[in-house]
Amino acid sequence: MDFELDDDQQAIMEAVGSLLAQRAGAARAVELGREGKYDGELEAALDEAGFLDVALADETGMLEAVLVTEAVAAAAGVAAVGEASIVAPGLLGERPAGAVAVVCAGAGELVRFAAHARTLLVDRGDTASRVDLSPVANESVRSNFMVPVARVDVDSLEGESLGTGSGATLRRYWRLAIAAECAGLMSAALDLTVAYTKERRQFGRAIGSFQALQHRLAYCKVAVEATRWLTYEAAASDADAEKTALAAAYAADAAQQLFVETHQITGAMGYTREHDLHVFSMRLRPLMLALGGASAHARAATGARWLDGAG
Amino acid sequence: MEFEWSEEDRSYRAELRAFIEESLPDDWEEISKGGPGSDAQAKFSREFCAKMAERGWLTQHWPVELGGQGASPWRHAIVGEEMWTVGEPRGQQYMSVNWVGPTILEFGTEEQKDVHVSRIVRGDSLWCQGFSEPEAGSDLAALRTLAIRDGDDYVVNGSKIWTSYVEYADFCFLLVRTDPESKGRHGITVLLCPVDLPGIELREIPAVIGDRYFHEVFFDDVRVPVSCRLGEEGGGWPIVTFSLAFERVGAARYARASFTLDAIAEEAKRLGRLSDPVVQEKLGRARSRVEAARLLNYRIIDLRVHGSPPTADTNLARVAGTQAESAVSELALEIFGSEALAYGHFAEVYFRLAMWSGVATGTTEVNLNLVASRMLGLPRE
Repeated sequence: MDFELDDDQQAIMEAVGSLLAQRAGAARAVELGREGKYDGELEAALDEAGFLDVALADETGMLEAVLVTEAVAAAAGVAAVGEASIVAPGLLGERPAGAVAVVCAGAGELVRFAAHARTLLVDRGDTASRVDLSPVANESVRSNFMVPVARVDVDSLEGESLGTGSGATLRRYWRLAIAAECAGLMSAALDLTVAYTKERRQFGRAIGSFQALQHRLAYCKVAVEATRWLTYEAAASDADAEKTALAAAYAADAAQQLFVETHQITGAMGYTREHDLHVFSMRLRPLMLALGGASAHARAATGARWLDGAG
Repeated sequence: MEFEWSEEDRSYRAELRAFIEESLPDDWEEISKGGPGSDAQAKFSREFCAKMAERGWLTQHWPVELGGQGASPWRHAIVGEEMWTVGEPRGQQYMSVNWVGPTILEFGTEEQKDVHVSRIVRGDSLWCQGFSEPEAGSDLAALRTLAIRDGDDYVVNGSKIWTSYVEYADFCFLLVRTDPESKGRHGITVLLCPVDLPGIELREIPAVIGDRYFHEVFFDDVRVPVSCRLGEEGGGWPIVTFSLAFERVGAARYARASFTLDAIAEEAKRLGRLSDPVVQEKLGRARSRVEAARLLNYRIIDLRVHGSPPTADTNLARVAGTQAESAVSELALEIFGSEALAYGHFAEVYFRLAMWSGVATGTTEVNLNLVASRMLGLPRE
């Protein structure tokens, strides 16, 4: 047991931190978001520095991939980092070139990053499949949720089946990626909100001094920290089915709480595009929908723990 | 980061489990249904703790020269988990080893260490906590019990309330005000007060959470020797803060929650309800809360291992623990249904334990205040 980052992890976090400080950030996300653009430059920089390959590297693994994904989300990086660095390596044992998108067949056609992805990973229940998207032109759809979204005709894309049981494998890594990204987004949303309550004055004092807000922010802090540790432990367990489902279930519930509370507490300002909260908060929503959301993750956890994997 | 138990810790846990299984009598469930303060459990825990002490397991995380084994705090966490899982057969002794002992080790004189530490190590002294007063609950610093110096004694007058386990206690970790003019955190002193001194009277306050949980303790001109003072006169507050940081996480309540949730799922399966998606969802959510509490508790142990002073991570863990217990206890009643109405039923016993989690060892609101001020840096109201 040791909850501290080791020296290598610390070095990775410092390096990815300085890359993100240069190439990501809320302002850039707002600019890209205006036209639903994907941050191919950021992705290329992360790729070049090796951050997208930590899951399969000799000295690192899924835990490091989770740390990177969390950091990119906290820096509002508009790139499919969880998909590329967690889901693809976990499912395929390799990382395909170019961006990766993930979808659950039968769960709607609008998919994050699908207009830019060259590989689509499809959860078909028992099996998963891998689809080469290079020849497919997925139509971008305008979205307010701060990540580029495109319409995918999942049924028409067969791809290569990855065999019985691969569906469950895909879901384990996808849940891990969802939880990691939620952790980063929530942490940033909470930091912004806490900072806002220290500056915003009403009734002659900072609104952060009101206990009515302090308690809600403290509950949010519990939710963010718990999400992080659940996610790290799930990653370190080789994406165990129960642990990933629990991390995603907790994360999706926490995301809902964070969305509601951070917006309520930042008032009208938090709904504007002049404040950065929406960059993080809006992006939580598609993550909360993925794979059926908190209740489906919770059922999956029950299946894994008490029903021999069913459910 | 590393989330696996070491081979050593795993084999210790196995050994401990075997010991517990062998030591708990067949009617343990009956013995423990009244809670750690009940006559039956208090009596049992004396014997049980003596056996633990023989193996050096009560205080193995203490330094070797003080009767411990210098084991890592993780080892003590394993003890806490296994004990709470089966309903805390150490009874009130868990307080002595979790926070009373460490606090005396930190602040006590050599003589106090001699007197108290060896007894705690042997498992033959029981403690109660004299903190809350009728007018000082969450606002602990408002306490008014007075101790006025008179020669070699303090003369104590006042009362404490909500005191648990006092009937079987040998000593009370007592907070008093030694400077009658003082207010708030100043002028508070800690006395390690024997509870059999003349002038101390008890009244049990009957409570739905179990037998012997709540008492009022009255002090009427009680003469407590100055040698019983822990730390400096008026220097009690930092000692309180230190002890609370240990107290709030010492109890592995999440372990009991986890055990109970498994039993709930087992019962749901037996009833054919485990295929119900609503039940599945509730079980999964409750389990996520329990695991969250476990990990946030582990974080504190980890900070301790790394030599960090107490932080508000403790309060975070306490809040998460209460959320977990609440989720599990609701589900316990829902799944076990009307059978849980019987006093002493497995689900009822758990419900009784969990229902006051948000009030025990400091309210949720106080914990949230500390997270807000110390972790989020929010200004005081």
